[in-house]
Amino acid sequence: MKVGLFIPCYVNAIYPEVGIATYKLLDYLGADVNYPVRQTCCGQPMANAGFEQMVVDLAKHFDDLFSGYDYIVSPSSSCVSFVKKKYSLIMQNEGYPCQTSGKTHDVCEFLHDVLKVDKLPGKFPHKVSIHNSCHGVRELHLSSASELNIPRHSKIKNLLSTIEGIEILEPDKIDECCGFGGMFSIEEQAVSVRMGYDKLKNHLATGAEYITGADSSCLMHMQGIAERERLPVKFLHVVQILTAGL
Amino acid sequence: MSTKHSKAAERFMNNTEHERWHNETLWQVRAKRDKLAMEIPEWEQLRDLASRIKTHTITNLDRYLTQFAERAEANGAIIHWAKDANDHNEIVYDILRKRDVKKLVKSKSMLTEECKMNEYLMDKGIDVIESDLGERVLQLIHKQPSHIVMPAIHLQKEEIGKIFENELYTEKGNNNPVYLVHAARENLRKEFLSADAAMTGANFGVATSGDIVICTNEGNADMGTSFPKLHIVSMGIEKLIPDYKSLSIFIRLLARSATGQPITTYTSHYRKPRKGNEMHIVLVDNGRSDILKNEDHVQTLKCIRCGACMNTCPVYRRIGGYSYTYFIPGPIGINLGMLESPRKYADNLSACSLCYSCNNICPVKIDLADQIYKWRQSLDSLDEADRAKKLVSYAMKFLFRHPTLYNVVLKIAPIVNKMPRSLIYNSFNDWGKGRELPVFAEESFTRMWKKGKVKKHE
Amino acid sequence: MSNKDEILNNIRKNTKTVYGMPKIVIDAIQYPDIRTKFMESMELVGGKAIELKQDEDINQCIRELYPTVTSIVSNIPGITIANINPDRIVFPNELDGTDLAVVKGEIGVAENGSVWISRVIKEKALYFVSENLIILLDKKDLVHNMHEAYQRVEMTNHDFGVFISGPSKTADIEQTLVIGAHGARDVTVILQI
Repeated sequence: MKVGLFIPCYVNAIYPEVGIATYKLLDYLGADVNYPVRQTCCGQPMANAGFEQMVVDLAKHFDDLFSGYDYIVSPSSSCVSFVKKKYSLIMQNEGYPCQTSGKTHDVCEFLHDVLKVDKLPGKFPHKVSIHNSCHGVRELHLSSASELNIPRHSKIKNLLSTIEGIEILEPDKIDECCGFGGMFSIEEQAVSVRMGYDKLKNHLATGAEYITGADSSCLMHMQGIAERERLPVKFLHVVQILTAGL
Repeated sequence: MSTKHSKAAERFMNNTEHERWHNETLWQVRAKRDKLAMEIPEWEQLRDLASRIKTHTITNLDRYLTQFAERAEANGAIIHWAKDANDHNEIVYDILRKRDVKKLVKSKSMLTEECKMNEYLMDKGIDVIESDLGERVLQLIHKQPSHIVMPAIHLQKEEIGKIFENELYTEKGNNNPVYLVHAARENLRKEFLSADAAMTGANFGVATSGDIVICTNEGNADMGTSFPKLHIVSMGIEKLIPDYKSLSIFIRLLARSATGQPITTYTSHYRKPRKGNEMHIVLVDNGRSDILKNEDHVQTLKCIRCGACMNTCPVYRRIGGYSYTYFIPGPIGINLGMLESPRKYADNLSACSLCYSCNNICPVKIDLADQIYKWRQSLDSLDEADRAKKLVSYAMKFLFRHPTLYNVVLKIAPIVNKMPRSLIYNSFNDWGKGRELPVFAEESFTRMWKKGKVKKHE
Repeated sequence: MSNKDEILNNIRKNTKTVYGMPKIVIDAIQYPDIRTKFMESMELVGGKAIELKQDEDINQCIRELYPTVTSIVSNIPGITIANINPDRIVFPNELDGTDLAVVKGEIGVAENGSVWISRVIKEKALYFVSENLIILLDKKDLVHNMHEAYQRVEMTNHDFGVFISGPSKTADIEQTLVIGAHGARDVTVILQI
């Protein structure tokens, strides 16, 4: 299967190791992975700020870049959620059909639902607290939202369980927002930081050494607070833990 | 980049202890709701039906209103139609004036808040007594509710104790909630027994029977209406539901969503006024019929005013109702405010991280978060878009449309890592006020890919 | 044009898509032991439910439940312990000061410990003003959930009716639950055969 790797702008600039881990893992699992180098950003920050119309060109560009692939996979549940839920409408409004939104997947979603990964090599003998990002939970259903009366499930938990030695924990207020929210983090910085700080405290209360999740943006926001507050915790994207043995 | 809301929020959060207490207190209501919702296996089925029943009712509203009015009038109630807030107030005053009412006792009604009825009547010399405990406390200090179901949730018992000391002459320093509630019981009982008229809101109006349904825990609505001979009901036209079969669904959803109880203590059905008594029902439009044509936001008419969206909202819990400029706060308040006046209430749109918890918690499945997203899109055409945000967005758009330039920026970005702190962390850097900046990678992913440094598994 | 016509016309003009009524079929919760569930629910809402034993005298039972009350109001035949008949009063204010009201419930709902009472006394004030409330309920009138309850309510004709679930309460002060806001401070349901 031909997989196009979509690396979000901030992962590109700040956490390239997450991109590297994603590529390595998909390749290990037998996918033919390529990275179209002229990609930039999905446009979500502008759209959430109220400037959806600025995203049209970006959406068209994305669609062109990735049209030849069977799947488009990205290590970011929020970016994928944006492409899946909004691209069709944004492009349709301008008269362009969108080919890619239906085949774009978050990497955890892809590993769990498409590749059906149930075994991975490697050990990660550490306590890890799962950060259930809002887009991942409520838009992509990576785990069951705590508000809903539906059977409890977590794709991230299932994937991490394939790694030997790992101790998987989840915080109180299991899927409460960390407060990143894109431009919200700047426009309402006081609330954003308070939310992030509270979330960190809940994660730390589990006794975890690492906080992991499907969204580096949430992790980046919490990491910034942890460093400012000198809180002893490390951050890794789920794919980085899954490639522990590679 | 700041709004009226973000400034008010910062002020509320400056009192860290209070903010923490407010947040936890409201979270507990969410937690109680969760416990009860999970005990009902058919919960999601109920939500789905409630949503569809409301959608059906509001899109057939002329028919249901006509039916309701006919039934209620056949039952002996008197129906009034108010186009707007002013109409409502004038109608109510007219009824009271004609019967020489001096004292009106009322139960909680956000609709009467919307119409600013209390001030209107008091200006005309009618004494209006709020009988819901939280509302009564606020009335004594001339403040507005900060939550639509728990109006005084932001006040701690010490503050309430002090208010009662001053206004109800309770024991000095006694802020035991049991003592205070019983003091209010005694005080308000005198008002119930001596009022000339009673006013209530309505949680639901049942079209097939003409019933008004009122849900309370305190029993204040029913105490209020039991002694005077005149009962006036204020009801928004969107509060109708078709029949009793529908009502059973809403009654199961309402209290569980609002307060985490299986049902409120009293679920009262007022159908016919007794001989010698009068029941007036004021049906209020005040912009609701206009919302019908707004397909992006028509779902707000499904709202049953349970407040669950406020209890789950991580932003509302940390900043309180007074940080919003509209009289209804939280996710539903942001949307209703924009429907009333986008220009006036646009500031509240920033009070949302788009976490979508409200969508999931709403018993009638209003797409609250999606609507907030849509309102944000409309700000630019309303000329209300934040200039700084717009500039940043333009800059981002330009950057992202030029991959070569984008990659150059990624190459240069690591310079920030080495800049002196004073240059980076200052009043211009909102990110840096509470967080460290992330470290820009020496080589971006794209650069590494191009250089062949992104390796397969060996 | 009257206000009514203006409002209705505006509604018609603005309604875009019309949606049909959904078919209401619910797999509503049923309890294996409806009586036990009702009693548990009543406790959870701050009240209590007891069962009248086979040969027990209802008046004796009431006296044991509320040994110190003096003014007992009821119009139920057989409740001889009552000393005031609510149908004989002139003004509802006269009911203020009632220690105990004994009333008849028509439907008891297991899922939430509530009892449907429609007005069968002169003044509905009694249901709210009394300090303590006893509701007599026949066991056969217990239903599992609100859907079943409303099916029965629909068949009655009332000018006023109320589901009462336990004593009056409020959590308006710091979310601390306080029993006895404006209505009854204590509610007991006596389940009869």
